[in-house]
Amino acid sequence: MTTQVAAVEVIRVVSSEKAVRGRSLWRDAFYRLKKDRIAIFCLSVVGLYSLIALAAKFGWIASPWDKVVGAPYLAPSLDSIELFLGTDIFGRSVFYKVIQGTRIAMSVGLVSSLISIPIGVFFGALAGYFRGWVDDLIVWFYTTVSSIPNIMLLIAIAFIMGKGITSIYVALGITAWVSLARVIRGEFIKHKSREYVLAAESLGAGHASRIFKHILPNVSHFIIINLSIQFMSAIKSEVILSFLGLGVQGQPSWGVMIDDARLELSRGVWWQLAGATVAMFFVVLAFNILGDSLRDSLDPKIK
Amino acid sequence: MAVASETQSVEKILEIKNLKTSFFSDEGEVRAVDDVSFNVFKGRTLGIVGESGCGKSVTSLSIMRLIPDPPGRIVGGEILYQGKDLLKLDLASMRAIRGNKISMIFQEPMTSLNPVFTIGNQIREAIGLHQNLSRKDIQDKAVEMIQLVGIPSPEKRVSDYPHQLSGGMRQRVMIAMALSCNPHVLIADEPTTALDVTIQAQILELLQKLQQKVGMGLILITHDLGVVSEVADEVVVMYAGRVVEQGSVAEIFKHPKMPYTRGLLNSIPTLSKDPTGKIKKKRLETIPGIVPNMLHLPQGCRFQDRCTYVLDSCREREPELRIIAQDSEMPHAIRCARDI
Amino acid sequence: MLPYIFRKLLSTIPTLFGVALIVFILFNMVGGDPTYQMLGRHANAKQVEELRHEYGFDQPKYIQFGQYLKQIITFDYGRSYATKQPINQMIKDGIGPSLSLMIPSFFITTLLAVSLGLLVAYFRGKWIDKLVVILSVFGMSVSMLAYILFGQYFLAYKLGWFPISGYETAWPDRLQYLLMPMIIFVVVSLGYDVRFYRTAILEETSQDYVRTARAKGLTESRIFFKHVLKNSMIPILTNIVIEIPLLILGAFLLESFFGIPGLGSITIDAVHNSDFPVIKAMTTLDAILFILGNLATDIMYTLVDPRVSLK
Repeated sequence: MTTQVAAVEVIRVVSSEKAVRGRSLWRDAFYRLKKDRIAIFCLSVVGLYSLIALAAKFGWIASPWDKVVGAPYLAPSLDSIELFLGTDIFGRSVFYKVIQGTRIAMSVGLVSSLISIPIGVFFGALAGYFRGWVDDLIVWFYTTVSSIPNIMLLIAIAFIMGKGITSIYVALGITAWVSLARVIRGEFIKHKSREYVLAAESLGAGHASRIFKHILPNVSHFIIINLSIQFMSAIKSEVILSFLGLGVQGQPSWGVMIDDARLELSRGVWWQLAGATVAMFFVVLAFNILGDSLRDSLDPKIK
Repeated sequence: MAVASETQSVEKILEIKNLKTSFFSDEGEVRAVDDVSFNVFKGRTLGIVGESGCGKSVTSLSIMRLIPDPPGRIVGGEILYQGKDLLKLDLASMRAIRGNKISMIFQEPMTSLNPVFTIGNQIREAIGLHQNLSRKDIQDKAVEMIQLVGIPSPEKRVSDYPHQLSGGMRQRVMIAMALSCNPHVLIADEPTTALDVTIQAQILELLQKLQQKVGMGLILITHDLGVVSEVADEVVVMYAGRVVEQGSVAEIFKHPKMPYTRGLLNSIPTLSKDPTGKIKKKRLETIPGIVPNMLHLPQGCRFQDRCTYVLDSCREREPELRIIAQDSEMPHAIRCARDI
Repeated sequence: MLPYIFRKLLSTIPTLFGVALIVFILFNMVGGDPTYQMLGRHANAKQVEELRHEYGFDQPKYIQFGQYLKQIITFDYGRSYATKQPINQMIKDGIGPSLSLMIPSFFITTLLAVSLGLLVAYFRGKWIDKLVVILSVFGMSVSMLAYILFGQYFLAYKLGWFPISGYETAWPDRLQYLLMPMIIFVVVSLGYDVRFYRTAILEETSQDYVRTARAKGLTESRIFFKHVLKNSMIPILTNIVIEIPLLILGAFLLESFFGIPGLGSITIDAVHNSDFPVIKAMTTLDAILFILGNLATDIMYTLVDPRVSLK
C-alpha cells in the first residue's frame, strides 16, 4: 500500500526481532506511548481532572459550592482560595463552581461512555460477525440514527425525558454509539476470516466464544481510542445542552456558567466565562491529543 | 540474449559504486544497502536476487533517488550514468532522467496506477513531460505504446480507467508508460510477483522482447532464481544489505560458491530426468534460521548463523568481496572465506 | 451513471422511513402524552382533551404514524402550538436567513480548510505544518460558545467592528449582520477540518501511484495538485457530509446569539416554549436535509472517482 515498500521491508526485518521476544500488542503500545511525553502529560491532566471530580463528588473540596463567600461580582483576588476566581451574582465562589462543573463534566463523559460503548460494541460485533440480514438491519438502524443530526436528537431526548442530568447521560449515551459500532463492525469483518478465528472455529469454538474470547480482545484497542474521543465530545455537548437550558438544573455546570456570562460580560464580569472556558479547554485539549496519541500507538500505520 | 553480445564489446550504461543507503529510526540506523557495487550493460539483463529485506528494492529505489526521506537517505557512493554521478545532480536534472533515461516498474500493478485518471492520460503525461511533441503526436504515441505492450484494441483501451483492467494488463500499462520515452535502463522491481503464473511468463517474455527491440539495459529485481536463470545475463545475490556473490548467470548457476547462493538454488523445485528418462525426485532444501536483525548485525559475516560451513574466522571478520574468476564482463566474485 | 443515481435515490427511502419511525417513537410513544409537556402541570382536563383532539393524540398509534408520514410527504406539519402559525410557513420564512448564513460559511470553511490542508501536507514536518497542527488542536478545544461570546463582546461591543446582533432582509445590508457569525463559524470549524484534510491528503501521498508519478519524473507540485488532489477529493467529499450536523448546530447557536430569524432560532424558541409540533417538524426536516446532503455527495463522488458508479 505504501510507497515505502523498501522502508517497510526494512522495518519488518527490524521488528521481526521484537516478535521473537514476544511483545504483545498492548505492551508494544504502552512502550510507544511511554516515549510520547506529550501523551503522558495529557494523561496526567485527565487523571488530575478525574481526581478533582472525585474529590468534589465526595465533598472533600469546593463544598458547599453555594455558600455566599462575599459580595456579588467580586473580581478575582489572591486573598483566599474561594475568591481565586471571584464571585458570581449571588456572591458564590466561582472557583468552587468551576470545580463542581468539573465533576459534572467528567461524570457526563464517564456515564455516557458507559452507556454508549456496550451498545456500540454489541451492534458492531453482531453486524460484522453475522453479516447477512443481521448486518443489513443494524446498518440500517445506525444509518438512520446518524441521519438525525446529533443536536436534534439530543434536544428531542432531553425534551422528552425532561430537563436534568439524567437526560443528558442518556441522550449522549444513545447518540454516541454509532461511530464505535461502525469501527467495530469493520474490524469484525476483517478479523472474522483471519486464520486464528478459523482455527478456533475448527477446534469447535461456538459463535459466542469466537466473538468474545477470540475477536473482541483483538479489536478492543478501538474502544480505548473511541473512549477518549467520546469523553471529549460528551463534555462539549454537555456544555451546549446546559447552555440551551436542557441540561443540568440547579447545579454549577460549565455550560450554565457560560450562559450566565452572556449577561455579565457587558458589566465587565469576565471571570465566570474565563473560569469555565479555561477549565474546559485544558481537559478537551488533553483528550484531543490523547486520542491522537492512542490512535498512533494502538493502531499503528507506517507513515 | 547473452549470445549476441559475447562477440562484441559490451557497453556499460550504469555503474553503481559503493552505494550505501540507510534508514534512520529511533532505535538506530539500518544500513539497508551497505557498500554495493555493480554494472549494468547495454542490451543485457542484470538480475538482483535475495530474500525480503536484503536491500534489493532499496538499491533500485536509490538508483532512481526515490528513497523516502525521512526515514531513508543515501549516505554514500556513486551512481554513474553517462559519466555523470546521479547522486550529485540537482532535483530538476534528476527528474529529467527519471521516466526518460531510466524508468522503473513496480511490484504492485493493482495500486501503482492512479485510479482516477485514464491510462491514456497517465501514459501521455510521461510522454509530454520528456518529449517535445504536439498534442496529437502524444496521443498517437500513447496508443502506439499500448499496442506495443500487447493490449488489444488500443484506441479503445486508451480511455479506460485502471480498475477496468486486469492485473496483468495493468502491468503492461506500467511497462508502456516506462518505455514510452525509450529509456536506456529499465528497473523492474519484482514485476511479476503479484501476478498469476501464466501471466508472469507473458510479462517476462514481453520485457525480453522489448529489451531486444529498444536495446536497453534491464535490472530485474526478484526473489525467484528460476526467473533469473531464464531471463538474466548477469546476477547479483544480496544478503542483509551486502552483495554476497555476483557473476554471469551461466557461471553462478553452474558453480555457485557462496553457501547462501547454494541454499537459494537448492530451494528451487526442479524436475529433471535421469539418463533412463525417469523423473528424478530431489528433496527441496531450506536455509535454516532467519535474516539477522538489521539494527544489531553480528560481528563478522552476516550469514554466519545460518551457514553450515561457518569457520571461527567468519565470526570475527567479515570477508571482502573477492574475485575468483575473470570469466566475463561481470567477474565471478564471492564474499566468503571458504573455498568450496 | 443514471442507474447509479436512481439506486442511491431508492436507498434513501428505508433511511427516511427509519427516521420517521425513530422520531415518531421518540415523540409520540416514549415521551408519553405530549399534551402535558405542552400545557404544563396545571392544565385542566378539558384543555387536555381539546389539545389531544386537535393534534390527534386521541387516535390509535398507527393512525398517528400514518398522519405523520403524510405530513412528511405533503410537507404540511400543522401548526405551531406556541405561535399558532402554520409550521411550513415558519420553515419558509426561516430557511432564507439560515441558508444565507450557512451556505457562505460552509463554502468559505471548506475552501480555506482544503487549501490549508494542502499547504501543510505539502510542507509536512516543516515548521508551518507543526504550527498549523498545533493551532488547529488548540482551536478545536475551545468551546464554540466562547468564540461567540468573545466575538460579540470584544469585536462587536468593545471595538464596534460589527453590529452586536440583528438582521436585515434587504441584501447588501444583510451582509453586515451575517459577517461576524460567518467568521465565527469558519474559525470554529477550521481546526477540525484542516487536520482532517491534512491527514486525508497525507494518506494519499503514501499511495503507490504517487511513487509511480515520481518515477515518471513529475515535479512534486504537479504530483500534488494533479494526482494527489483529485484522489483526496474522495475523503474531502465524505467530510462534507460529516459537516452537516455541525452546520445545523452552528445555525442554532449563531442564529440565537446574533438574532438571525432562521430555522435555528425557531428551534431554540420551540425548545423554550415546549413547542412539541415544531421540535418534531424540525427534527424531521434536519434529518431530511442530512439525507439529501448525503445523496448529493454520493452523486458528486461519480465526478471524482470513476470506480464509484460500478459499486
